[in-house]
Amino acid sequence: MMTPGGSGRFRPLPTAMYAGYSGTASSWVAKTSVSASGKRIQREMAELNVDPPADCSAGPKGDNLYHWIATIIGPSGTPYEGGIFFLDIIFPSDYPFKPPKLVFKTRIYHCNVDTAGNLSVDILRDSWSPALTITKVLQAIRSIFLKPEPYNPALPMIARLYLSDREKHDEVAKEWTLRFAK
Amino acid sequence: MISDSITNASATAAPSAKDFGKKKRTNRSAKLKQSKLGLRREQWLSQVAMANKGDKEEIDSNRKPRSENPDQRDRPVENLDGLSREAEDNSGTHHHESFIESLSNSPNSILSGMNSIPNFSSSSSSGSGGSCSGNITEEEDPDDDGCLDDWEAIADALAADDDKHEKENPPESCEEHASIKQSASPRASVSGSNVAIRDVKPAMSRKQKSNQAWRPDDKLRPQGLPNLEKQRSFPVMNLHYSSVAVPSSCPICYEDLDLTDSNFLPCPCGFRLCLFCHKTICDGDGRCPGCRKPYERNTIKVEASVQGCGLTIRLARSSSMFCRS
Repeated sequence: MMTPGGSGRFRPLPTAMYAGYSGTASSWVAKTSVSASGKRIQREMAELNVDPPADCSAGPKGDNLYHWIATIIGPSGTPYEGGIFFLDIIFPSDYPFKPPKLVFKTRIYHCNVDTAGNLSVDILRDSWSPALTITKVLQAIRSIFLKPEPYNPALPMIARLYLSDREKHDEVAKEWTLRFAK
Repeated sequence: MISDSITNASATAAPSAKDFGKKKRTNRSAKLKQSKLGLRREQWLSQVAMANKGDKEEIDSNRKPRSENPDQRDRPVENLDGLSREAEDNSGTHHHESFIESLSNSPNSILSGMNSIPNFSSSSSSGSGGSCSGNITEEEDPDDDGCLDDWEAIADALAADDDKHEKENPPESCEEHASIKQSASPRASVSGSNVAIRDVKPAMSRKQKSNQAWRPDDKLRPQGLPNLEKQRSFPVMNLHYSSVAVPSSCPICYEDLDLTDSNFLPCPCGFRLCLFCHKTICDGDGRCPGCRKPYERNTIKVEASVQGCGLTIRLARSSSMFCRS
C-alpha cells in the first residue's frame, strides 16, 4: 500500500511520490520534492532558518533534502565548551513517522555517543514522535551535553566513569574536545 | 442587510416627514403594490426554504436577511407549546436585539416591522433592496393608514412590546394578535399558515444539515436512537466543532487540514492531525504523536455496532476509520 515515497497524500503525481528516496542518502532525489516528507523537511528547514535553537545550526548538505549536516557548539560550563561538533542527519523517506538518523562526525567523549558516533537518545529510537522536529532533536542533543544520561549509555565505560569519578570524566572529555572539536 | 441599515440610517432624519406626504400621494397605487407584494411573498417563501436550512444555533443575525426576524419572534407567540420556544430562546433574544436596534435606527424599518408581523414580504423587500427602504410607506395598505399615521406611538409600543418579550413572553401574545388584526387582516391568515409551516422546519432543517448525527442533548432527537459511548470518550468533541483553536495545517505533514480533518480528534489528549497521517501512524505503531499513548482501539467496537443500525458519519469520521484490523 505505502509507496517508497511513503506517507504521502494521494495526489495526481506519478513521479513526485517517489521523490524522497531514502536508503543510503546520496542516490537520486528529485530537485523539487513534493512528497509529504519533502514538504515537511522543507518546512523544518525554513523554521530552523527563522528561529534556530541556541548553539545549533543545520541544513542540507548538498542539494539532497534528505541528507543534512548539523553543528552543535559545546555549551559553556561543560567539558565540551568551545568545541564544534558536526553531525550527519539522514531523513528516512517516511520521515516524520520514522526518526531521523543522527551520527556524530566529530569524535566526542560522551557516554551517550558510541565510537561510531551513534547516539543513544530515546527520542531518536523508541520515544520518537512524528510531532518532533529536527529543532527539538538538536535541542535534546545539546541538553545531553549539559547533562549526560549515564543510565542509558552508548558506552557503559564512560558512563561508569561519569558516575564514579566525575572530575576524571570531565578532564578526558575536555581533552577530547580540544583535540577533535577545535 | 448592510446596505439596508446604511440607507435606513441616512434616512432617519429627513425623510420621515417627507414620507407622509409621499404616502398620501401613493395611496392610489396601493392596489398595484398589493399585487407586487403578493409576488414578493411567493419569492420570499421559496427563499426561506433555502435560507432556513442552517441550524438555528448558528444563525448569525448579521448575515441572515432580516426577514427572519418577524418570523422568529412570531412563532413563540403563535404557538405556545413551549418546547420549540425553549430551543430558540437564545436566538430569539438575539434577534430581538437586532430588531430593536433596527427600530431605533429608522422609521422605515418600524413601518416595515409593523407591517411584517403579519406580512413577511415587506420586511424582506426592505432587506433585499436598499432602494425600497426610501419608500416603504408606499407599501402600506389604505386600511393601515389609520394606525400608521402615528407611527411613533406604535414604535414606542412595539419597543415596549419587545422589552416585555424578553422578560416574560406569554402575556404580550394578545397584544401581538391585536396588532396583527390592526394591520392588514387578510395577510394574517397567510402568516398563520407560514407559522405552521415553519414549525415543521426546525426538525427538517436539522436533518438536512450536512447529514450530521443527532446530538445526545438534542431535544428533537428520536427516542429510538441508541446512546453511544463515543460521546463520553470525546468530551471536547462538540466544543471543537466551533472552536477557533484548530490548527490550520497538520503538524505532521504540514498539509492544510480540510473540514473533515479539522473535525477529527483521534486522541483525548487533543493532538490533531490529518487523516492521512493518522492512517500512516495506525499502520505503524499506532501511538498518538502528541502523548505517545496508543490510539484507543475500543472505538472500533462503537463503529461496528453503529454500522448495524445504519447510523454513521460522525463516528466513522472520528477515529476508527483506519484502525480496523
